[in-house]
Amino acid sequence: MKISRIQIIGNLIGLLPAVYILYETLTGNLSADPIRTTTIITGRTSIYAMLLSLFCTPLARIFRMSVFHPIRKISGLFAFYYAFAHFLIFSFFDYQLNLDWIIPEIKQKPFLQVGLIALILLIPLAVSSFKPIRQKLGKYWKKIHRLVFFIAAIILVHITIASKGDIVDPIVIIAIYILAMSLRLPQLRSLKIKSLPDWLKHVNAYLTNKNNAS
Amino acid sequence: MSRKIQPSEITPEALYISRRRFIKKAFLSTSASLLIASCSTQESDINPTLDPELSAFSSQTDDQGNILTPYNDITGYTNYYEFSTSKTQPTELAKNFVTDPWIIKIDGLVNNPTTLDRDQLLSMFESEERIYRMRCVEGWSMVIPWKGFPLKKILDIVEPTSDAKYVRFETVFDPEQMPGQNNPSFPWPYVEGLRMDEAYHDLTLLATGIYGKNLTPQNGAPVRLVVPWKYGFKSIKSIVHIEFVDEMPVSLWMAVGPSEYGFYANVNPNVDHPRWSQATERRIGESGRIETQMFNGYEDEVAALYEGMDLTINF
Repeated sequence: MKISRIQIIGNLIGLLPAVYILYETLTGNLSADPIRTTTIITGRTSIYAMLLSLFCTPLARIFRMSVFHPIRKISGLFAFYYAFAHFLIFSFFDYQLNLDWIIPEIKQKPFLQVGLIALILLIPLAVSSFKPIRQKLGKYWKKIHRLVFFIAAIILVHITIASKGDIVDPIVIIAIYILAMSLRLPQLRSLKIKSLPDWLKHVNAYLTNKNNAS
Repeated sequence: MSRKIQPSEITPEALYISRRRFIKKAFLSTSASLLIASCSTQESDINPTLDPELSAFSSQTDDQGNILTPYNDITGYTNYYEFSTSKTQPTELAKNFVTDPWIIKIDGLVNNPTTLDRDQLLSMFESEERIYRMRCVEGWSMVIPWKGFPLKKILDIVEPTSDAKYVRFETVFDPEQMPGQNNPSFPWPYVEGLRMDEAYHDLTLLATGIYGKNLTPQNGAPVRLVVPWKYGFKSIKSIVHIEFVDEMPVSLWMAVGPSEYGFYANVNPNVDHPRWSQATERRIGESGRIETQMFNGYEDEVAALYEGMDLTINF
């Protein structure tokens, strides 16, 4: 199996926040509260990656560009990786796996319950991204992956409760989610550009390593 | 990435930062070993600019033996929404904040209303050093050597009347200097309040400095309140107005989230918050968590103030 350019570029971009965290940790610049800072960076990255993945299917249709399909897979997977890192920082570094501390917190706080449910639901999506499993699932793959609409919605609840006082920030993220979902409305189904400009065809062909632009 | 080591950097600041280095290394080695096989630790988090004044605090601890939070962390990691909701940006954004001249108006239900300027405030009482734990409602804490004087010294001068039941404090409102005050999510200016007996309590401090130096703008220069048994947001910064009133003031955080932030806001591990753990806290500069103490460890001094009150209702 040949690896396409978009796979290389996409994965490198996805690793940037992790590289940033590592670099800032080693140079001691991760603020006075590194646990909080890394919790925020991983959580934010996960949400942004998930929102990006939600735009890929409509964008692929509107622009007739197949490159959005690998982008969807890569961003979806990174959304899971960073959500998992986010959880590891919470349970391992912050709460030191002390269940006497963690369990009461989860019992008390709906936003933690929501976050945990979202993470658990992301697991089957991540696992079924692997080609053999995807092929085995056949038409069910698509149904399973529609779960992401629900997961993203409950993550919006998670971040809205988690943000302190400032309402602008969660509102922007909720608006982006609504935009991604509204591009799926039946009324907008026929929204497509008439023909792709040549240069975009070349970009698409270059990134997907295909000689014939689709 | 290499940095010259200043001769002054070797001692004596090393005394109080050494523990932090150790902790940071511990955090680094565990976190880094998850990610890469080997790692080299550097110590560039320590600001090379040294001040002999700071070294006087090198071996000090609070009443429970907790080591002081490094000066750079106290001045570099703040909650000051008037400048930014970020913890690190106020340091930069407040750099040119003008705190001189400064006038504080003290009025309301008092016999002797007055105004004090900055110089009067900084010199009218002999300043004391008080090492207090500061517990933020967000579940993190610091140990801070304040410089200041008990609020009651001011009360003795202005003489609140018997009608005065509460003190209301207000932070300066100046959106040109404080860009965060343009954020429409909050009803500026910042307001806080205390009950009279809390205001008279000996632990309640009007602070003018930390580590023997005058307050930095991001820490609330030129004068702020410090109430160590309450969550940090009660300790209002850059005060311009102190008013004695007969009704409980509505603080900014009470107005923003009445179900989350109460008037009393006493540190209490038994009263939950929807976002942050109040049972445990992260001490800045240390790894992991510690258990939060009732009234932030000042129970012996202040519990009597709240006798007979249901603290889950009066949170």
